[in-house]
Amino acid sequence: MSLRKSVRYYFMKEIGAPALMRFSHLKKKKRPINPNPNFGPALKSTNRLKEIMARHYLLSRYAEGAKPVAWVTSGAPVELLRAFDFYTFYPENHGALCGAKKMGPELCTIAEEHGYHQDLCSYARIDLGHYFSGTTPVGKLPKPDLLFASNNICQTVVYWYKALAQYWNVPLVLFDTPYNFSAITEHDISYMVRQFEEMIPLLEQTSGRRFNYKKFQEVIRIAKEGSLTWGEVLATMKSRPAPMTIFDAFGHLAPIVSLRGLPVALDYYRILLRELKERIESGVGAVTNERKRLMWDNIAIWYKVRDLSDIFAAHDMNFVTATYTNAWAETIYDLDVDRPFESMAKAYSLVILNNNLNHRLELMERLIKEYQVDGLVIHSARSCKPYSVGQYDLGRILMDRLAIPSVVIEADITDSRVYFEEQTRTRIEAFFEAMES
Amino acid sequence: MTRKEYLIRQKEEKGQKLFGIFPAYYPKEILWAMNVLPVEVWDPPLEFNHANAHLQPYICSVVKLGLELILQGKCETIDGFLFPHTCDSIQNLASIVSDYLNLDIPCYFFYHPKAPYSAASRRYYLEELNGLVTRLEKQLGMLDFSALKQQVKKGNKVTALIKEAYKLRACNELRASNTDFYQVIRGGEYLHPDDFLPMLEGFLSTSRGHGCKGPSVVLSGIMPNPPEILKILDEKGVKVVDDDLLNCGRRLLAPESQNEDPFEAMADNYFNMPPCTTKNSSLKARADYTFKKIGRSKAKGVIFYMVKFCETELFDVPYLIEELKKRGLATLLVDCEVNQGLSGQLETRVEAFVEMIS
Repeated sequence: MSLRKSVRYYFMKEIGAPALMRFSHLKKKKRPINPNPNFGPALKSTNRLKEIMARHYLLSRYAEGAKPVAWVTSGAPVELLRAFDFYTFYPENHGALCGAKKMGPELCTIAEEHGYHQDLCSYARIDLGHYFSGTTPVGKLPKPDLLFASNNICQTVVYWYKALAQYWNVPLVLFDTPYNFSAITEHDISYMVRQFEEMIPLLEQTSGRRFNYKKFQEVIRIAKEGSLTWGEVLATMKSRPAPMTIFDAFGHLAPIVSLRGLPVALDYYRILLRELKERIESGVGAVTNERKRLMWDNIAIWYKVRDLSDIFAAHDMNFVTATYTNAWAETIYDLDVDRPFESMAKAYSLVILNNNLNHRLELMERLIKEYQVDGLVIHSARSCKPYSVGQYDLGRILMDRLAIPSVVIEADITDSRVYFEEQTRTRIEAFFEAMES
Repeated sequence: MTRKEYLIRQKEEKGQKLFGIFPAYYPKEILWAMNVLPVEVWDPPLEFNHANAHLQPYICSVVKLGLELILQGKCETIDGFLFPHTCDSIQNLASIVSDYLNLDIPCYFFYHPKAPYSAASRRYYLEELNGLVTRLEKQLGMLDFSALKQQVKKGNKVTALIKEAYKLRACNELRASNTDFYQVIRGGEYLHPDDFLPMLEGFLSTSRGHGCKGPSVVLSGIMPNPPEILKILDEKGVKVVDDDLLNCGRRLLAPESQNEDPFEAMADNYFNMPPCTTKNSSLKARADYTFKKIGRSKAKGVIFYMVKFCETELFDVPYLIEELKKRGLATLLVDCEVNQGLSGQLETRVEAFVEMIS
């Protein structure tokens, strides 16, 4: 690591970034408040969220050469890397951001021009598109010193990160989580713990830092607290009316994904939770006249979040839960500072996408009951096969068991070229009719 | 004898249980030793009638056809299914078949480690082998350890003969056409080794001799489907001299382990298999392996047999093609549904590729 770059990084962290944030806050024009009558007042915490994430992306530009930089998959046990002081960057979060800014097709096309098929995951294509062109809405991304992937969310990340490892010429560390076909066994846990033990020397070598067990335990504690608080944030939507929508939660998810194990994420969720509780006490709903409550299955359609939010709110329908946002509250709270490796193995291998479909069915049934859900919207995402294969069956079974109507939207997370407006509208209209009958 | 007739005979006359095996890696020796005939499900010749009600249009046809086979009631003679953890789609298909089709057929799952270069992986793989045996024993009775040892040796004999066939092919000492060669090699997807071994021996003894003198190519990807491409290559005098196909060379050409412990021998065989994307092999390892094959056989190009929507293979292809082109080698990417046949456009592309290497 270079001394000059370290000084520059810490200057930006302590002085430059906060000053820039204040300046941009002053410069920002006030938008008219609450332009859409179907929604309640906007969450004040959102401004703080934007600051945190903007600062995270800004600092990442200065991290290169000052701190070891790791690119990490969203489901990987990042806590271990934090003990070595890695600056972590999340390509999936960056992909979602590109999707929300409607840059998906542009970046995907660049990857396609380099031979990456349009049928491949669009997060991966965006990331590879960035590699080949340097294009990003955040200015510049830091070059990784290490790639850290876990196949607990999909096998695709492994194929994708292998390509990155080749292009960036950096090591790829894979945390292999045996799929839970029926139950995670003791020998599965031992295998995962042994992998952690094997990773440590490589992480020491790449970071130039010795493994600090106490620091690791502290990170585990903060990650656990962060996950618990995120779970409380989501649980506020059990209230009627719900103080936020799941479309809000898709945005507020960013810190638990990208900054998990850091105090900034925990502090943020405490602020957000406080505001949501205040809204519950005052009876303020995210949707003005919440009549029907919905569940979302799968990752967001990032380029359509606003549109879909408006369409459903216009029918007084609010999304109050999602299997996706729940994923970071589902198991990570089970981390144990006294058994950090074992608990981390268990927590990360039992996440929704590393589990059989019956597990997901039970989870959905529980969420439907706890959140008093009236209907289900299933996003069948071309990019995400482990999330999508089985959705047709799950929708049918939930209808049989709980009489929950559902609609399937065939789309993609960031590649809007495979989103068919008319077809989607027609399906949603039919769903509205089913909901009202 | 058709495949179906053969399977019925094995079951009725030889008392073997039949297991439907989904792609790709699994310890077949354990099944043989427990009197089970593994019948691999790669590309059954079916039309889609029912699978679309369960699977999205963007799911690969290997997975869809496997499900279709079950939904069309063509698995009535099957005594069990085995789902190795090969990709996301097979993983979830396993859950659908096991939990949502109301089948009265036991489903088994097999997880092979995806980080095979880690020391932790070998121990885990051995534990997985033992775990599979324990689960199978509940249905099939105790595993006879000495029978397993014999089957491992038999498996090694099969491998040795297949390797011999590939070696002869690479140095143009095998007369068989491309179509015939892969028909024989793929026989191992359902034949018992007691039948497959004599078939291989017969094939080797009758097919030795100089092959055609045309240009040569290597195949890569999933499997030689559509088979019509092999036919065109035969007609044009192009030799397929080697392959890195997931269901052929990539899993059939590992060095045979001499370890006396059958479990250790099976682990050796798994860990010594060629680089594979399903095992997190690096792109460089795959590229080097392909170059080795090309260097040995003097092939002029590579045909990538992709199955549409197969992320597992499609992610590796751009780098492999780029590296091959840097070395002046021709490449052809065939990306289509299994059993789709040959469209006029694809036929033209194959012919253009052949002209390029001729």
